[in-house]
Amino acid sequence: MDWQVLLLDIVLMPLLAFIVGLLMVLMMRRVRARLERRIGPPFFQPLYDIIKLYGKDIQISHGFIHDLGIIMVVGGYITVEMFLPVPGFVGLAEKGDLIALAYLMMVPMLGMALGVGQCANPNGSIGISRALTAMLGYDIPFVLVIVAVAAMYGTTSLPEIIAIQQQGGMATWGVATMPVMAVAGLITTHVMLAKEPFETYIAPAEIATGPMVEMGGKFMGGLFVVQTFQVYTAGVLYVTLFLGGGENWLVFLPKIFAVVFIPFAVTIVFPRYKAGEGLLWVWKWPTGIALLGLALILM
Amino acid sequence: MTSLDLLLSLAAATVLLTLLAGRQPWGGWLATLLYAAQLVVLFTMAATGYEGAVVQSAMQFTVLGLTLHWALTPLSWFFALITIGAGLASSAFASGDWGRQYAAGGGSLRLLHVALALNVASMLLLLCSADLLGLFICWELVSWASFLIMAIGGGNAMRYALRYLVYAVGGGMAVLAGIALVYAETGSLAFAAIATGLPDYSATTLWTLLLLFGSGFAVKMGLLPFHLWQAKAYAETPGPGSAFLGAISSRMGLFAILVVLVQLVGLSRIAGLEIPLTSLDASELLAWLAAFTIILPTFVALRQTDARRLLAWHGIGQGGYMLLGVVIGDALGSAGGLMHVFNHATYQAALFFSVTAVVYRTGTGNLDRLGGLVTRMPIAFVTMLIGIIGLAGLPPMNGFVSKWLIYRSLINEGYPLLFLAAVIGTLGTILSVYKLIHNMFLGQLRLEHEQVREAPWSMTVPMLLLSAVVFVTGYMPGLVFDWIAPVQAALGLPPLVYHLGGITTAGGNLDMLWLVSFMLVGFGIGALIFYSGGRARRVHQLDNYAGGHFLTAETRYQYSYNFYPALQRLIGPLYRGSFQWLESGLVSMLDLVSAGAQGIYRSVHPALYLLTVLVMVLFFWVVN
Repeated sequence: MDWQVLLLDIVLMPLLAFIVGLLMVLMMRRVRARLERRIGPPFFQPLYDIIKLYGKDIQISHGFIHDLGIIMVVGGYITVEMFLPVPGFVGLAEKGDLIALAYLMMVPMLGMALGVGQCANPNGSIGISRALTAMLGYDIPFVLVIVAVAAMYGTTSLPEIIAIQQQGGMATWGVATMPVMAVAGLITTHVMLAKEPFETYIAPAEIATGPMVEMGGKFMGGLFVVQTFQVYTAGVLYVTLFLGGGENWLVFLPKIFAVVFIPFAVTIVFPRYKAGEGLLWVWKWPTGIALLGLALILM
Repeated sequence: MTSLDLLLSLAAATVLLTLLAGRQPWGGWLATLLYAAQLVVLFTMAATGYEGAVVQSAMQFTVLGLTLHWALTPLSWFFALITIGAGLASSAFASGDWGRQYAAGGGSLRLLHVALALNVASMLLLLCSADLLGLFICWELVSWASFLIMAIGGGNAMRYALRYLVYAVGGGMAVLAGIALVYAETGSLAFAAIATGLPDYSATTLWTLLLLFGSGFAVKMGLLPFHLWQAKAYAETPGPGSAFLGAISSRMGLFAILVVLVQLVGLSRIAGLEIPLTSLDASELLAWLAAFTIILPTFVALRQTDARRLLAWHGIGQGGYMLLGVVIGDALGSAGGLMHVFNHATYQAALFFSVTAVVYRTGTGNLDRLGGLVTRMPIAFVTMLIGIIGLAGLPPMNGFVSKWLIYRSLINEGYPLLFLAAVIGTLGTILSVYKLIHNMFLGQLRLEHEQVREAPWSMTVPMLLLSAVVFVTGYMPGLVFDWIAPVQAALGLPPLVYHLGGITTAGGNLDMLWLVSFMLVGFGIGALIFYSGGRARRVHQLDNYAGGHFLTAETRYQYSYNFYPALQRLIGPLYRGSFQWLESGLVSMLDLVSAGAQGIYRSVHPALYLLTVLVMVLFFWVVN
């Protein structure tokens, strides 16, 4: 691999992720607004929000680990983007596989947990306790998806998974070869994005936005940046595993937007689960569907 | 005299010298030096560890016509490295300020050092034994040495140590029975003779052997259902002792399984043993036992409120990963399982040290009575952070590499449900270790801990060195693979093909050099973005959102009790304590039987029984 190309890749990939992620956040907010019969924010609002937060005069830090937590969240997701292949950019995807990526995605979570922990606010700690509990829920169907993908394509390397689907055409896409798994994956994506009814760990009226309770200024700004990465990663991962990736960005972008559109659109009709109920639901439905899908694949 | 003899005599000398000089203030440091010397001698035999050359010992005994001898194989080299390393770190940790506090509190530091040296020496003997009889004798030696170090604490510690002893003696008897069976079948206890005799064994004999050896060795490993003794016994051992035990002691069970079941019997022969009426075979049974050993103790750890017990329970769970990897038996899985032995030793010792440092300063390891210590003990915090990332198996620490190898091998070999079990164990570990670090170091600093200072350097230096090992072997796992490939070759397993940064296989690569480097780059960019924002002002912990209330120094504003209530509501009813129940049932049954027997021979004319026995003995003596 040419090192200049590589360097360009790993600089551009997080940047692209950020820009596309901003658009996705914009879409999320607009969709929600339309469903609530509002107009919604203007085009650059997500970006303005971030710039405003970083530029605030009053920035409250509860100590070095609080700072480090935000650095780990943002930095961790930047690393994730470097390992996530997209059209035209392979980046470091050859150096780690889907399993490594899945575990890499837990590093920002850990950073967040550490940062919130130092804030010494029980609301934040309760939020993290709930977030980790939720992770114990959605990661189980997610792992089943990984197993199914590995069994179906015979590899856990993301570029190879994309190549197999693109060579075979639509009939070899994950959504065609393992439709049950694709359903489970979609539900899991929804839970992972912590959209209603699964936003137990944010729960503003209950635990004062949980992990965000002591976050303001650039701390909150960092979390806004991470939100863009989060929705982008979820979309790209789903498209990579089930929808054949993309030959170019013109094909790729509609696909990833379509994937994240679904949770954004359905989330508004739900209230919020209690923490334990949500977990039980995830263990029952997406996990059950994923187990069924896995059984179908292995048979 | 070979280098191996030198090593074994150095280990013996360490025991003797600590016994003689243990009361001196420099006694501990002398022991530390001696461990370092042992490590140096071990590295003079680097050809064994890196290339697979076997070093014989000149020491030999003949008992009842059976010759006992000792030899250093790549497997013993690898385990000896971890054993001596753990001894070195624990001894260094115990020799300085911790030891002075321990002695001032009425503990006998000499006894602790002697016990540690005895453990290391007996383990080295076990690791180098080259026949089954030697293995058994050293096995018992190790059990008694572990008992000694566990019992030092007295009180509760003695109770748990005695409980361990009951398990260990039971396990030892199972092993002895297995050895007797082998002797009856083969007429020899030398490894080579057994290996040639084994193909003739019937399936029934093999099953009996597997059950006897398996359960005997499983006791030391803490494999389900023989795990109950371990956590409490380890946690009650004085700080550095628990670090040593947690790092390596129970791995002796895995070592014995590797020697007897993997090397002598062979995984393929175990896989050939079908379980009647099911589609499982014996090796899958072992794999599932390992999987349950991963899950159940991990979720027991989640409920602990004592930091050391939490870690000790995780130690049991992590043992499951090692066995799982080894039982799968392909190049990736067995390498992962073996590497996990090393990785676990490094981060587990670091974690125990960190917890011990906190106990040293605050006097408690109770997770409901700590909090916010990161501002007071930053080095202990960093050690714990690195340790928990390793224990949870997240990048960039070494625990991730070994677990990744195990995951990949489970996927490659087509065990999706075992893979799921392994991941559930990891997720449970993440929950539990976050609780650990949060309740000790994050959240609100308690009023009584305002004046706490960082642990002294005699404790922080071993902690930081171990943390460095955890990181470096995660960054460059090839350093550890260098030792593992010869072990695999010696055990008859397919050897791993690797490079410094990881492995390249069809269907998914791992290159930690790249992954970790770019994680650091990512963090660097994250830091740039963070510090590009406005300057942050540090506020006091009480300057906090409290729903309109003002917080004062007396306000307890911490969330640590019952940390995962939602999860516990769901899975709480599943903690039935079935194994406790089983254990106490067995104990009561045994009590009943022995009481009954006592009742017979003591209440009805004991003199008559004695007379009968005497007459019979006399009769046979005369007749013969």
